[in-house]
Amino acid sequence: MMAEDIQAKLKNYKTAPFDARFPNQNQTRNCFQNYLDFHRCTKVLTAKGADTTPCEWFRRVYKSLCPISWINKWNDQLEEGTFPGKI
Amino acid sequence: MAHQAHAYHMVDPSPWPLTGATAALLMTSGLAIWFHFHSLLLLYLGLTLLLLTMIQWWRDIIREGTFQGHHTPPVQKGLRYGMILFITSEVFFFLGFFWAFYHSSLAPTPELGGCWPPTGINPLDPFKVPLLNTAVLLASGVTVTWAHHSLMEGNRKEAIQALTLTIILGVYFTSLQAMEYYEAPFTIADGVYGATFYVATGFHGLHVIIGSTFLAVCLMRQIQYHFTSEHHFGFEAAAWYWHFVDVVWLFLYVSIYWWGS
Repeated sequence: MMAEDIQAKLKNYKTAPFDARFPNQNQTRNCFQNYLDFHRCTKVLTAKGADTTPCEWFRRVYKSLCPISWINKWNDQLEEGTFPGKI
Repeated sequence: MAHQAHAYHMVDPSPWPLTGATAALLMTSGLAIWFHFHSLLLLYLGLTLLLLTMIQWWRDIIREGTFQGHHTPPVQKGLRYGMILFITSEVFFFLGFFWAFYHSSLAPTPELGGCWPPTGINPLDPFKVPLLNTAVLLASGVTVTWAHHSLMEGNRKEAIQALTLTIILGVYFTSLQAMEYYEAPFTIADGVYGATFYVATGFHGLHVIIGSTFLAVCLMRQIQYHFTSEHHFGFEAAAWYWHFVDVVWLFLYVSIYWWGS
């Protein structure tokens, strides 16, 4: 049931919806949190050997919100092993 | 007039305000010269002049008050106001550094890993030397109060003992903190954590040294019979300053050492 929900949500995705956790103009944390959540979600589900489709939501949101240069910088840091966030 | 018909102190002309201002000029320009041209000469000149100014100016105040009787009750009231206003300005000084600390630690940026302490920083254990330091300063607050009561009761010997103990505790704090600085796994250059930690605790440590020096001067004066059981404002000023230093530490300990870990 959950899997169909998430597929529906992903199919109808236009842009990042309002997130009450980040109500103000500065959306930096919104971007960063979804970037973290995507990688944490991927890590946990891959470790269990499960399908990582639910993690797609986080990827869509951070792709909508984050400046591309930030995404590239963080991806480079992840590759180098210098990313400061806790995954 | 032949003799003053009021209780106030019209201070004789003195060169120390001018030498103090000159010292300030030499220290500021000296700092700039050191930054750009690597010479410490101007800075050293400024510091020397500052030291000489402080020694001679305060020596003159002691002469005017203790030996010449110029510190009547209204004059003493003015000195009290002055010390309180000065300490208040120091409170605002530290408030700025606490603001900086809370600004960075309450909403840690992605560059830090979105967490506090930042990724890669191993903070000091607040329940080790920092806790001992807290106990040392709290104890010194007790001993300085003991010294005050001894002074007011005319108990010369105990006043000297309590004041000496207070100073020893102050020196003990300073040496403990110096060792912590030496052994700490992070430096002032380690991001905003290092910057806020060392600037705030560093200025505090400087104030501990200043306060200990002030108390030491009071000890020398007490030994030389300057203070009476009714009139010892120099000591009271030093005690107020010492309590202020203690309170700043308590805020530092709770905010930076404990909550900040």
